[in-house]
Amino acid sequence: MAKLWTVIKREFMERVRTKWFVIVTVFGPLFFGVIMVLPAYLSVRGMKDVRVADIRIIDATGTGLGDRVATRLNGGPMGDAAATQVVAVAPNEVAAAESLATRDVMAKTRRGYLVLDSLTISAQKASYAGRNASSLNEVQIIETALRSAILGQRLEKEGLDPRRVEALTKVKVDMSAERITDTGRGGSGIGSAIFGFMIAFLLYMMIVLYGQNILRGVLEEKLTRVAEVIVSSVSTDVLLAGKVIGVGAVGLLQQAVWLGSAAGLYHFRAQIFVKLGMPAMPAIPLPEVPPMLIVALVLFFILGYGLYAALFAAVGAMVSSQEDANQAAQPVVMLLVFSIIFAQPVMLNPTSRLAEIVSWIPFSAPVIMPMRMAAIQVPWYELVGSLTGVAVTCAICVWLSARIYRVGLLMYGKRPTMRELARWIRQS
Amino acid sequence: MQDLALEIRGITKRFAEHVAVSDLSLAVPRGAVYGLLGPNGAGKTTTIRMILNVIAPDSGTITLLGQPNTASGLLDRLGYLPEERGLYKKMQVRRLLRFLAELKGVNARTADKRIDEWLDRLSLRTAEKDWGNAKVDELSRGMQQKVQFIGTLLHDPDVVILDEPFSGLDPINAQALKDTVVDLKRRGKTVIFSTHLMDNAERLCDSVCIIARGVKVLDGTVTGVKSEHNKRNVALAIAGDPSADVSAILGDHTLVSRMDDSNRFFEIELAVGGDPQQLLQRLVGAGAMVQRFELIQPSLHQIFLEKVGATGIEEGMSGHG
Repeated sequence: MAKLWTVIKREFMERVRTKWFVIVTVFGPLFFGVIMVLPAYLSVRGMKDVRVADIRIIDATGTGLGDRVATRLNGGPMGDAAATQVVAVAPNEVAAAESLATRDVMAKTRRGYLVLDSLTISAQKASYAGRNASSLNEVQIIETALRSAILGQRLEKEGLDPRRVEALTKVKVDMSAERITDTGRGGSGIGSAIFGFMIAFLLYMMIVLYGQNILRGVLEEKLTRVAEVIVSSVSTDVLLAGKVIGVGAVGLLQQAVWLGSAAGLYHFRAQIFVKLGMPAMPAIPLPEVPPMLIVALVLFFILGYGLYAALFAAVGAMVSSQEDANQAAQPVVMLLVFSIIFAQPVMLNPTSRLAEIVSWIPFSAPVIMPMRMAAIQVPWYELVGSLTGVAVTCAICVWLSARIYRVGLLMYGKRPTMRELARWIRQS
Repeated sequence: MQDLALEIRGITKRFAEHVAVSDLSLAVPRGAVYGLLGPNGAGKTTTIRMILNVIAPDSGTITLLGQPNTASGLLDRLGYLPEERGLYKKMQVRRLLRFLAELKGVNARTADKRIDEWLDRLSLRTAEKDWGNAKVDELSRGMQQKVQFIGTLLHDPDVVILDEPFSGLDPINAQALKDTVVDLKRRGKTVIFSTHLMDNAERLCDSVCIIARGVKVLDGTVTGVKSEHNKRNVALAIAGDPSADVSAILGDHTLVSRMDDSNRFFEIELAVGGDPQQLLQRLVGAGAMVQRFELIQPSLHQIFLEKVGATGIEEGMSGHG
């Protein structure tokens, strides 16, 4: 036991001491901070920047619809409509005006152009072309302005006062979505989904980073032949266990620092935003995190990490060069990538059959299940079953890896074939 | 019964393609310097790994310091210097040595004290520079060898096992190693080392065991082995190239049974009934300018060649001794 502790201590201290660790651990939260603040900061700046309005409206309706759209694009009658250029044309001049506008867009004097004609009034059809046509957000802004303009025009036709029309059509809907679980309402749906996705991604990152770290560590011991000295003092099982636990502890420490500073950032967000001269950010309704979720999260992390760490260690013991290691690690990495590929569909629809299946598969469960748990109420039998599956698989992987490690650590030369591997496992 | 540091009884180890060690038995008395000799691929490293319980023999028993070598805590009383040496490159020397000592059950404080003593002794810590605070990869190869050597002995082991300790050592470190082996013996420690360099073995060892292709060829004390193989040998040196007459005399099988040209001198094994005086007279008579004519015991090298033969060296060049 004392020796296990010695190995753990070395693995932990030597990693925590590196510049790499200090940089990532300290700059990680900074990065989080930037990610959190930047979108808000940009959107504040984006409002002043009337780029969406920087278009030409070719108006062949003869009803002044183009001017109405321009007004709405630039923030109502009080706004400066000059950013948008409205060209009124006769219906037969539309084609010529379009080709001229196309050239202007190509020459970058305008971002795009909107064509309004008789069809726009009768059948609500219009066309837009421009550099930003693939930006759903910007196109949606133009579309909304157009819809509101048409509505206003119709209302005025019915004899309503233009000023009242302006007030009536200015409808801004801000819909919040709330999640309902068996225990009642709790937090926002979007919040939970984002939270779940973040958890999944964090777990995935941790397993990838620290799993590969184990592989490199094992390979280093093999290549520098330190392994020979170490195994004359401790058994390979102790060495492997110490490595996995030590590196895992580094991962946990890093996670704790990150989550701690993220929580700190969130807590002091108001002060930070004020410092940056921005309006206070609308509070992202954070989902309630039940203690069960935290327990499950920790369990899934430990088991998932153990499972992959064992596999990566076995790969490290199998090979004798960095190139071989990259190749041999591919199947393990594929298993991980497979689980993160499913993260998005599962996040979008956490109750689907697909979501259920991938949270039963032991190799993807550690990443997928915590995410689903954050998003929806997972039935207890599914949770227990999935955890058991991961635990059993983890035990099997550790057992197999320990055997491969025992033989492989002192074997040099070409990579073993599957048959040789099987013999290693039987032999030790 | 003699007090044994190591006793091996009939161990055999088979790998998939070949038998690495076959029915090997040997005994090392406490306090002896013992040489495990053999060509590359003879099974030396495999034997050592079995002694260290890194791999288990298929059959046979190994007893270390009176206990089966699987006994817990036994490894703490062993020091091992592997043939392929290596250290954690990015680790500070002092921390690395403390780690190695702690793995052998030495507490950090004792380890620190001994590390300083050793660093001083092998002049890795001088008035100008304390290499103990440097990282391993900042050290020269020779210094890294010293560090590795300290790591082997830091916990003051009762039995020291050195696998090919002289390979790759510069003359200064080789001398330091030799001195240390002698010192260890003086302090009652047992030293077992493997080598294929017979000269080192002959100078250092009390007893030897020669193995080839996994089989023991002979063992015993160095003096015993030599007297057992004491055919009358002559070291002969002649000024200039031997003339045709001289060559004819040396080729006379009634007088000379074997001859080994060692460049500076010939090591001659006299034929049964061959008289050294007669050989000398005939050589002088043929006009040879004799510079050295000495009756000698056969060297271990000679015995080794005779017993193992060329075939033993050619086969089994798998890289691990």
